Amino acid sequence: MVRNKRASKALKGTYLALVLAFLYIPIVVMIALSFNKSVSRAEWTGFTFDWYAKLFQSKQIMAALRVTLEVAVVATAVSTVIGTLGAIGMHAMNTGMANVLVNLSYLPMTTPDIVTGVSLMLMFVFAKVPLSKWTMIMAHIAFDTPYVLFSVMPKLRQMNPNLYEAALDLGCSPMKALGKVIVPEISPGIVTGALLAFTMSLDDFVISYFTSNTDQNLAMIVYSAARRGVEPTMYALSTLMFVAIMALLLLVNRRSGLENM
Amino acid sequence: MIQDMRLIELKGVCKNFGDTQVLHDVDLYIRKCEFITLLGPSGCGKTTLLRIIGGFEMPSSGEVLFEGKDMTGIPPYKRRINTVFQKYALFNHLNVYDNIAFGLNLKTPEQLGVQTKKEKKEEIARRVNRMLKLVKMEGYEKRSTNALSGGQQQRIAIARALVNEPEVLLLDEPLGALDLKLRKEMQLELKAMQQQLGITFIYVTHDQEEALTMSDTIAVMNGGRIQQIGDPKGIYDEPKNAFVADFIGESNIVDGVMLQDDLVKFRDTEFQCVDEGFDTNEPVDVVIRPEDIMIVGEDVGMLSGTVESVIFKGVHYEMMIRDEIGGEGQGMLWKVHSTTMQPVGTRVGMTIVPYNIHIMHKAKTADAEPVSETGDKEA
Ligand SMILES: Nc1ncnc2c1ncn2[C@@H]1O[C@H](COP(=O)(O)OP(=O)(O)O)[C@@H](O)[C@H]1O
Ligand SMILES: [Mg+2]
Repeated sequence: MVRNKRASKALKGTYLALVLAFLYIPIVVMIALSFNKSVSRAEWTGFTFDWYAKLFQSKQIMAALRVTLEVAVVATAVSTVIGTLGAIGMHAMNTGMANVLVNLSYLPMTTPDIVTGVSLMLMFVFAKVPLSKWTMIMAHIAFDTPYVLFSVMPKLRQMNPNLYEAALDLGCSPMKALGKVIVPEISPGIVTGALLAFTMSLDDFVISYFTSNTDQNLAMIVYSAARRGVEPTMYALSTLMFVAIMALLLLVNRRSGLENM
Repeated sequence: MIQDMRLIELKGVCKNFGDTQVLHDVDLYIRKCEFITLLGPSGCGKTTLLRIIGGFEMPSSGEVLFEGKDMTGIPPYKRRINTVFQKYALFNHLNVYDNIAFGLNLKTPEQLGVQTKKEKKEEIARRVNRMLKLVKMEGYEKRSTNALSGGQQQRIAIARALVNEPEVLLLDEPLGALDLKLRKEMQLELKAMQQQLGITFIYVTHDQEEALTMSDTIAVMNGGRIQQIGDPKGIYDEPKNAFVADFIGESNIVDGVMLQDDLVKFRDTEFQCVDEGFDTNEPVDVVIRPEDIMIVGEDVGMLSGTVESVIFKGVHYEMMIRDEIGGEGQGMLWKVHSTTMQPVGTRVGMTIVPYNIHIMHKAKTADAEPVSETGDKEA
């Protein structure tokens, strides 16, 4: 018995280690290479921050950083508003209709990015909207909104339904009750949703690639650079993106962890 | 002081949720400054009725009048009514002070009787502090509502409603979550507040003792119908049907037959009573309260029986006594309250004086089953 238990424990441990190694070794290697003096991947010639310095001197990369942040900020802001209001609307509907809508909203989260990207591009082309930073923002709003929706919905379900009525009871019109009571009560969900949306926008490549023209975000820069042959600056850029997104996701996780306590 | 004026009047109020009818033809009026309690078992429609008065639900048919004017379609925020919700519904994102000030902040300076914004702020502070004092929560202004105990949250919920000086306060089982001792305390405090402020209270509870101790008027409900309306003493002493009798006290309810005026037969025995106007040989419910059965010597009682169990209830003993009708061990169990204890196994006699025997028509609406739609109203 005891032996069995120990064996199964060891097996579990090995399995976990293998999975983690498989997932993280490539990233660790990339991070290491971003600090490697040599341009070659084959040898380690010493530690340097040069690639990071170069990164911040490159006009092209700084422009892409601007685009990335602009798109992420605008798309996050708009999708947070749409997602929150949408969630409140669906919550107030009768259950049958709301279920249909909820499931419809799930779909974009599960469709492959390539499908979303191509179909959005087709839509813009059909509507004769020239591809630009703005079409990219619209596309980001489209795929960010469900993340906000699904962060806010559970908060609404947990909320004491009498809160809204208490606000009306004390003299709020329905609109005022929304602003003064509902939104503050579900604000943890809204913030989590906004953080998720921001993260999704930051690291999106496929959909951005299909829906923008000359404006490139960071992921697109990495991609086009990789086709020309990777320089260590790209390792540095990827490392920074990885760290930023990791930090955001940790924040989201911590928040939901705290709320569930 | 209860005034004679009818402040709120419900006329033939029905409420359906889909196919189920949860309120049947409710007629009720509420006078100014009255403390009225809607009393009934869980699921009988108390909350629904309260929500209709508050404007959170619309009646499917019937009218709700406020000072004689129809209220249909008037939203809650335009009614001079405030509510203490069953689960308090405090705003967790606001501290205690801001919770109480919530309603006042929505008012204009003029509505608060002042001119400037600064004066409004001061007026609000004055009123909130007065409320905090009234509910004995001074010094808690800056606390988060999450950090309060159930009893404290409950006080804040009451303060938040009362500070708006409503004409009517609706309270939905406000003491339900509190332990017994605190509940007793709060009952007294609530009653005192109501008298001090002269506000009409519409109070919902399923606790008959609470209803009896606090109310000016009790409306006993069952299955979506009002079974009886009256003052506590009237309802306790003269329950209209077996449901009310059973719900209000833990009464003994026996099938009987009315032989003639003032004479009833039950448990194969004839008893003098003080009820008249029944049909000859009409089947009736006979209700006898546990404290109204006197224990006498085993051969001088009207009924005799054997003590099967004894529990001490603080001021009296509760004994279950099985009578001897229908053979050994086949009789019915009587609940008897007495200050003197008879040991288990003792054979005793039981006597009931005529005015403690309550005769009731067999009521169609008497049991907890949903009642048929033909709706002849008993109450
Ligand atoms: N919104 C609703 N939809 C459907 N049924 C409801 C709704 N609200 C209450 N009911 C039903 O109406 C009946 C009365 O409920 P309620 O008024 O809450 O009773 P009480 O407060 O006396 O316990 C219950 O059977 C309950 O299930
Ligand atoms: Mg209820």
